[in-house]
Amino acid sequence: MNRDYVFGRIYIWSIILIGTVAFCFYFKIPIASLEEWVLIYLLAGSVLLSNYFLVYLPPEGNSISMDSSIYLACLFLYGPYITMIVLSLFTIIYAVYNRKTQLWKHLFNFSMYCLMLLGAYYSFVASGGKIGLVNIQNIFPYLLALFVYFCLNISFLSLHFIISSRSTFKGVLNVGLLKEVAITYCITLLLSLVLAILLDSEKYFGLFLFTILITLLSFVFGKFIQLYRLVSERANCDYLTGLYNHGFFKETLKEKFSDAKLLQQPLSLALLDLDDFKKYNDCNGHLQGDKLLKFFGDLLQKGAEGKGYVVARYGGEEFAVLMPNTKQEEAFLFMNRLRKEINDTYFAGVEYIPYRCISFSCGIAEMEKGMQDCGELIHKADQAMYYAKAQGKNNVQIFDEHNISLSALEFKEDLDALEQQVKIFLSKDVYTYRHSKRVFTYALEMSDRLDLTDHEKQTLILGALIHDIGKLEVPRDILNKKGKLEPHEWEIIKKHVIWGKEILATEKRFEDVLPLVELHHERYDGKGYPYGLKGEDIPKLARMLCVIDSFDAMTTERPYQRTKTFEEAIIELRRCSGTQFDPFYAEKFIELIETKYLPRIKEQMSG
Amino acid sequence: MVYDGILLSLLIGFFRGGNLKGIAEMKLRGGWLFPILLVIEIFIFILQNKIEIVAKLSNGMFLVIYATGLVFLWLNRHQPGFTVIFAGVLLNFIVMLLNGGRMPVSVEAAQFLGREYIEALKAGVYGKHEAITSATWLPFLGDIIPLSPPYPRQQVISIGDVVMNVGAFIFVQHLMVDATKEEETKAVPANQ
Repeated sequence: MNRDYVFGRIYIWSIILIGTVAFCFYFKIPIASLEEWVLIYLLAGSVLLSNYFLVYLPPEGNSISMDSSIYLACLFLYGPYITMIVLSLFTIIYAVYNRKTQLWKHLFNFSMYCLMLLGAYYSFVASGGKIGLVNIQNIFPYLLALFVYFCLNISFLSLHFIISSRSTFKGVLNVGLLKEVAITYCITLLLSLVLAILLDSEKYFGLFLFTILITLLSFVFGKFIQLYRLVSERANCDYLTGLYNHGFFKETLKEKFSDAKLLQQPLSLALLDLDDFKKYNDCNGHLQGDKLLKFFGDLLQKGAEGKGYVVARYGGEEFAVLMPNTKQEEAFLFMNRLRKEINDTYFAGVEYIPYRCISFSCGIAEMEKGMQDCGELIHKADQAMYYAKAQGKNNVQIFDEHNISLSALEFKEDLDALEQQVKIFLSKDVYTYRHSKRVFTYALEMSDRLDLTDHEKQTLILGALIHDIGKLEVPRDILNKKGKLEPHEWEIIKKHVIWGKEILATEKRFEDVLPLVELHHERYDGKGYPYGLKGEDIPKLARMLCVIDSFDAMTTERPYQRTKTFEEAIIELRRCSGTQFDPFYAEKFIELIETKYLPRIKEQMSG
Repeated sequence: MVYDGILLSLLIGFFRGGNLKGIAEMKLRGGWLFPILLVIEIFIFILQNKIEIVAKLSNGMFLVIYATGLVFLWLNRHQPGFTVIFAGVLLNFIVMLLNGGRMPVSVEAAQFLGREYIEALKAGVYGKHEAITSATWLPFLGDIIPLSPPYPRQQVISIGDVVMNVGAFIFVQHLMVDATKEEETKAVPANQ
């Protein structure tokens, strides 16, 4: 059992014990005269009302009960005994009314008030105050009593907080909070003097006036709070989707970030971007696009319900989910399940976008110990999201330093541009499209295992994505032909490397990628096409790409080849290493497959 | 006093934008008990000074009436405010039961009601009331709260009466405001 919890309990029950003993010490029979009883009834009723009609103060969550005013006024005029009877009567009725609250909470409250009142009473009497009349000539005892009451209250509550959550206590008594509380208390305590004067001169009617006043104030302030909530909701929420907006999200993130840091709890952030939303908008109109955003927002909200996640619209079609107390693996499972759910949810107009369903790409990052600023978390999630986009969209990625290149943004633009071109294959030849994507993934993973500069890495990745672009020029019936290819058809196929180079050469920024496209079918032994280059004459990136390209060609179904398993393909790579492939790169690639893919396949087979 | 409370709750109910529809549609279990109890009570009031047997039995009968009332309230305890009314009536019932079926009245508090009233009270023939003496049990539950100006009527009531009125207030508010609102929210989806 938690040590703090035990100490907290000991503290609470000792306060209850002291308070109850003090009360019993004062208790006597008969309790009061009939006239006093009338007073007790009215005061208790008044306390009940003021507890029911709390006066709310912005900012939210702050409310004051005027019951302290009533107790103190009662104390000044009628002494501690009557006051404590009123208090106990109130506690009994309130405990019956609030049956759901645990009894010890009522008891603790009762005891705390008992001790506070006694403290105020003794300091009042000791400093020369007289019970029974309001003497404004000597105001000091009143002020002292109020001060003692205030200090006792603050110390009881903060002691409770410190003891019961000591391990996480990092200075709750900040000055700003104390100031705010002090003002609230001043209101309560000054009102107690007002009530005392009213009670003194008009008795029941004075109390009646006071109670009515509190009730009306509570109504009025309640309206204000409602208005405040409405306005702040509007300020914090995105108008279209009803989710939180960017500004509020950033604020919340900052808060949760420092909380998580303090409490050493995990914190995960998921950034997601609707796939092909621009295309959807173009095909269906912006009104329908808005509807999709709203629909998606609702789905997201519903999915995150009851988990304590903060869901926000981060930008145009970007959304963010903040997951306190969640590890990135959990976050991944959650987002991936959500992604599948959303894929299966039909929405009018999705026929026009490539995946033919609503989909999103999502990047997840978890707070790490070294992080100083929540901006880092956003940045990482953002990079992971771009990586997910680059992986062909509709997937979820956890941030991993190895997967994200350095000038991510610029690279992403290039990638997007090439991606657009590769996409043409979707309608022409889906095999080539998928093949390009997979080769791209292999290249991405491979680039980290090779001793390459960042620029070389990026060139390899871009080249892998675009290497077969020349096949656009090859007629469909040749690409999709089931039987063996005629020699002249082979000649056409072979030309795709030249055509690809020509297509890509139109844009200057892809200059470095050209050799990869042109030379990825050259062989190490010089028997490849188009030029028959040999050995080191072939650029190393092209040699690498050749290995990857061939491996994927072997392992996936294509119109003119039988499928090999990964193991078979590895054997084939080894066999042709030194003739078709550069032995060094072939071995490097086999290493990647063996460490990263084979275990996974085995798992799937056994699972 | 009971009628004052109900009148006040009706006024506040209207002020809060409620209407009487809820009251017209209220459903209570054993509602028929209520008028019968009222008739019997009035019957005893009128006859207890004229017929001796009624006078002898009146205290017991008041208690029976109260007990029946309590049963009625308990049957309807799921209605908002009824548990509060029940508590109020129970408080009155307890003090009457302990004091031989009559409601003890504080003579001091009743001073302003006039000499005839006090004398009738002391003689023990005023309705279902009697004066508080040192022999009275739980005097603080008796009629000890004086109502005086600016309250428009002069009366002495018990804490049970007050609690009862609070309950009635809650119930009337519920019927006038909440019940109408509930209907509106139910009606909204149907309109769409």
